Amino acid sequence: MVEFLIRRAAISIVTLIVISVVVFTGVRMIPGDPARVMAGTDADAAGLEEIRAKYGLNDPIPVQYVRWAALALQGDFGRSIRTRDPVSTTVARKLPITIELACLSVLIALAIAIPAGVLAAVRRNTAWDLLASGASLCGVSVPNFWLGIMLILFFSVRLGWLPASGFVPFWESPLANVQRMVMPAFVLGTALAAVLMRQTRNSMINVLGADYIRTAYSKGLAGRAVIFRHAIRNSLIPVVTILGLQAGALMSGAVVTEQIFVVPGFGRLIVEAVFTRDYPLVQGVVLITASSYVLINLLVDLSYSLLDPRIRIGGRP
Amino acid sequence: MNPGVGSADPGTATAVLPAAAALEPAAGLRRGWRRVLRRPASVVGGVIVIVFVALALGAPWIVRTDPTATDWSQIRKAPSVAHPFGTDDLGRDMLARVVWGSRVSMQAGVFSILLAIAVGVPLGLVAGYYRGALDQVVMRLTDAWLAFPFLILAIGLVTIMGPSLTNATIAIGLGATPTYIRLTRGLVLATAAEDYVQGARALGARDLRLMARHILPNIFSSLLVQATVAIPIAIIAEAVLSFLGLGVQPPTPSWGTMLNAAQQFLESAPWMAWWPGLAIFVLTLSFNVAGDGLRDLLDPKDY
Repeated sequence: MVEFLIRRAAISIVTLIVISVVVFTGVRMIPGDPARVMAGTDADAAGLEEIRAKYGLNDPIPVQYVRWAALALQGDFGRSIRTRDPVSTTVARKLPITIELACLSVLIALAIAIPAGVLAAVRRNTAWDLLASGASLCGVSVPNFWLGIMLILFFSVRLGWLPASGFVPFWESPLANVQRMVMPAFVLGTALAAVLMRQTRNSMINVLGADYIRTAYSKGLAGRAVIFRHAIRNSLIPVVTILGLQAGALMSGAVVTEQIFVVPGFGRLIVEAVFTRDYPLVQGVVLITASSYVLINLLVDLSYSLLDPRIRIGGRP
Repeated sequence: MNPGVGSADPGTATAVLPAAAALEPAAGLRRGWRRVLRRPASVVGGVIVIVFVALALGAPWIVRTDPTATDWSQIRKAPSVAHPFGTDDLGRDMLARVVWGSRVSMQAGVFSILLAIAVGVPLGLVAGYYRGALDQVVMRLTDAWLAFPFLILAIGLVTIMGPSLTNATIAIGLGATPTYIRLTRGLVLATAAEDYVQGARALGARDLRLMARHILPNIFSSLLVQATVAIPIAIIAEAVLSFLGLGVQPPTPSWGTMLNAAQQFLESAPWMAWWPGLAIFVLTLSFNVAGDGLRDLLDPKDY
């Protein structure tokens, strides 16, 4: 187990180093001169040179990388070229908004997926199963930005029930916050719900065929008790893994969703940073995204072997 | 299509029962058809995908209206006989634009996945076949590659290369590549251990021949099934990139750019948002349903 832990952590570190090199060189390949962006259009050659010298833009790329990586390890990702704010504080300001959005969408997804998946598995090959599978197929096929636009069209334009866009911090007005978050969270949760439902159904069907379920039935337990006390708990383990693997899709989805509903979160920050060629901001944001994805997957791997002792990697019984 | 590919029972059966083996292709085909017809939804999905392919290929002959022709007297008109899907903010015919948009989506969806296959399959093949240090290097790079959420990687690549349909296609293709590397490698690891591969090796077949003649044909159906999963994802990704302004540039009609334009006129011209999104939805749904049927037909053990 310890060996597996070390091995898995070492691989994650190698991955993180590769990522940082890729991000750093990738950002350097973006066309456009950051010095010119900072200085504005009316700057002269001397002014540009001064900015380049100040931000170390003239140094060799490897030198710039080492300097940047050393600072990044201490949580210092430099300052945004456009706003001059530290990247870390900008991210710290935006991230909670996206985390709230992501948590809400995961809650919505689980609230839809688990009952639907369990129902589809228990009532296998009935109309319920067909309905759930059909809904799941639609869920993965619907482009989330179109779904968002359609929801705005219906609930905001036609019915006028919900505000179409914007963001209000939770502590200012919980109601206004939820009113503005519910549509984006639903949109972001749709695809996730579809994937999770399919997974819940499959693993539930597997579990229902297992010996210990037969034992539970044969010792006289009622169907309801077997399903709720024995089957659901065990069938949710693979669902946890899928949830972790979907973290990346959730981040991608947040970019689009925040764009449509004008939620000032992390996803919108990425798009803004890219469009304004804000080197340090793009670097920091992409690096943080990729690193958190690596860490989430590491945690999922570890939790997987902790949750189910049978699958402890290394093959020990 | 060779229905034997998925269920190829290598070597032994042919040697023992030559007569039965000779009959197999026709019988396999019939069995396959029966299996397909048991899933009518998949047949419908497949037909719709074919219709979209026909629309994409035949756009100039199917719609007579120029999708880029503006008409200032016909701005944001609701659907009518003259314009069944209505007109957009520049008075262009939405029907013509949706039909032409299928061309962009198909192009992006199919070519990006072909690129992912062209890069990912050889890498996965080599990594899985030779294993060792090479495998470690390829897989660590793949891990890093996969750590970038798909869309964020595509956005980053398009930013570097500049927004255009070709670059969006390349970016989506490169985003889908690591999945192919992983899948191919896994399949190769399993296949290379099979007796018939070992047998061919014992007969003196070289690495290249083993990979091309014995391993690749046997993993082909799984790769094909993955493509039916990946193409709809790529189609949506192209629409998203175009929606964000990082894909197809105006005035070329694309479903993503049309949705972007529609966002500003939700109150006055909601039909501008209906059709392009519905087209994406129907096409990806059909791809997924047809893909389920194909998976059933080819029946690779991994799914």
